Amino acid sequence: MDIEKKHFTCIVCPIGCEIDVELQNGNVVSMEGNKCEKGKEFVLQELEEAMRILTTTVPIKGAKWAMLPVRTDKPVPKRLLSKVIEQLADIELQAPVKMYHVIVKDVAGTDASIVATRNMKKVNQRKDAKKDPISRKEG
Amino acid sequence: MDVEVDVTVIGSGPAGLTAALHAHESGAKNVLLLEREEELGGILKQCIHNGFGLEQFKKDYTGPEYAERLIEDLEKTNVQYFLNTMVLSLSPDKAITAVSPEKGLFHIKSRSVVLAMGCRERPRSSINIPGTRPAGVYTAGVAQRFVNIDGYLPGKQIVILGSGDIGLIMARRLTLEGAQVKGVYEIMDYPGGLKRNIVQCLNDFDIPLYLSHTVTEIQGRERVEGVVVSKVDQKMNPVGGSEQSIPCDTLLLSVGLIPENELSKEAGIELTPITKGPVTTETMETRVPGIFSCGNVSTVFDLVDYVAETGMIAARNAARFAAGDWKKGRNPVEIIPGENVRMLFPQRYSFKDDLILFVRCAKPIEKPVKIELSPVGMRLKRLYARPNEMIRFKVSRDKLKDVTGPIEVSITER
Repeated sequence: MDIEKKHFTCIVCPIGCEIDVELQNGNVVSMEGNKCEKGKEFVLQELEEAMRILTTTVPIKGAKWAMLPVRTDKPVPKRLLSKVIEQLADIELQAPVKMYHVIVKDVAGTDASIVATRNMKKVNQRKDAKKDPISRKEG
Repeated sequence: MDVEVDVTVIGSGPAGLTAALHAHESGAKNVLLLEREEELGGILKQCIHNGFGLEQFKKDYTGPEYAERLIEDLEKTNVQYFLNTMVLSLSPDKAITAVSPEKGLFHIKSRSVVLAMGCRERPRSSINIPGTRPAGVYTAGVAQRFVNIDGYLPGKQIVILGSGDIGLIMARRLTLEGAQVKGVYEIMDYPGGLKRNIVQCLNDFDIPLYLSHTVTEIQGRERVEGVVVSKVDQKMNPVGGSEQSIPCDTLLLSVGLIPENELSKEAGIELTPITKGPVTTETMETRVPGIFSCGNVSTVFDLVDYVAETGMIAARNAARFAAGDWKKGRNPVEIIPGENVRMLFPQRYSFKDDLILFVRCAKPIEKPVKIELSPVGMRLKRLYARPNEMIRFKVSRDKLKDVTGPIEVSITER
């Protein structure tokens, strides 16, 4: 069987080890360059399913600011990041919102939730609403 | 209206929030925190990505979560804070003049002052890019504010100049919001931001990074229509014939940060060109007695944990100064950069406390290095040294007690 070679830069800590692996039938036969066990775990996870925390924003009405920052409460598969973003496209929240309020459960079929990452108070009118002639454009 | 307090902290970003909290915890009775914006938190509010507080809280917070945690702690104390408050002047005897819509012009008398004004981005004019002056040229932090707080997308086709962390983070952010990021161009032959950000923000989204490249022309009259990029040689001069035109509607600049020290200058505080911040000792005291400085107004740090750490040290000592528990002590010695050291902070040692030293190398060494303190005889080992990663280490007071002259720091191959 052919040996397949892959290269990874570890993102667990700031060292950023450059790790080379050799695979045969999808199994790791050698790994070089990792300075610790965490690097090995990272590479095995990347091979199985690369996982990332996603942070983004959703629009909010009745608050001082137009956007509320949100995150996934745990890492989600990297290949699903655009699916998660798509699922958030039609959401619009109403202030007030508390930090860690769950906005979407099991987002994009992952078992992660989208949660608010700050408190956002209700205000009667956005301070700049009157003098702002340009309405928010959809991205 | 006039106010009299023990400790005044100017700025409520991560340094100022931490300093206000710790001045209170260190026993200062009246602590006042001044913020020119309409809420506390500074730049943390727009840094919606994670990676904050890994060392300080052992948690992987986003910027807003990190700020909320500090604000919640602050709300439990009797620390006063004034929002929408702009400090107009600071005098060498620590008299503050400030203005706000509610209070008008007012004066603050403070026993000690902590400077925590942070830094600002270098604009287009500081790097001299030739070409027209169309709309669509933004600093990365301004674009970050538009996207993350105001809900505007600055453009659809984006070129980023400079590979600082904010630029890398905005490359990912704009891609997620549906823009096309055509590439990140870096004039140096190594990236400006952390390696993990290169992987998570560029590689994950197939955004190319071009080292030893810069933008040599901006095109377009009303709006950016494209940029010309060129390779640069070892002296960072553009190489003739390497020009390449890239159509785009937006150019983001992530070309460095500069400490914001207008107030410090007015107070007669000596600054150093190495950090563009005040000269301080290990206590964070500037050359003006009773005025302390912390966070990115002192020097631009890589990690919020370091910013907060300096805030803690400055606050503890400002509280001591306000309480009258401050002896002049021994004359401070200079700490000076030796071989392969581009930046070091603090610049003086006053024998009052352990020394927490932050250094940055000039040239990258991807081999085991030694960091030497001469004549202390201290020698530290690290696996590598990179200019984009600050090195932090502690030297105990005991090791430094016999030092009489300047301390020189060097970073060389082992």
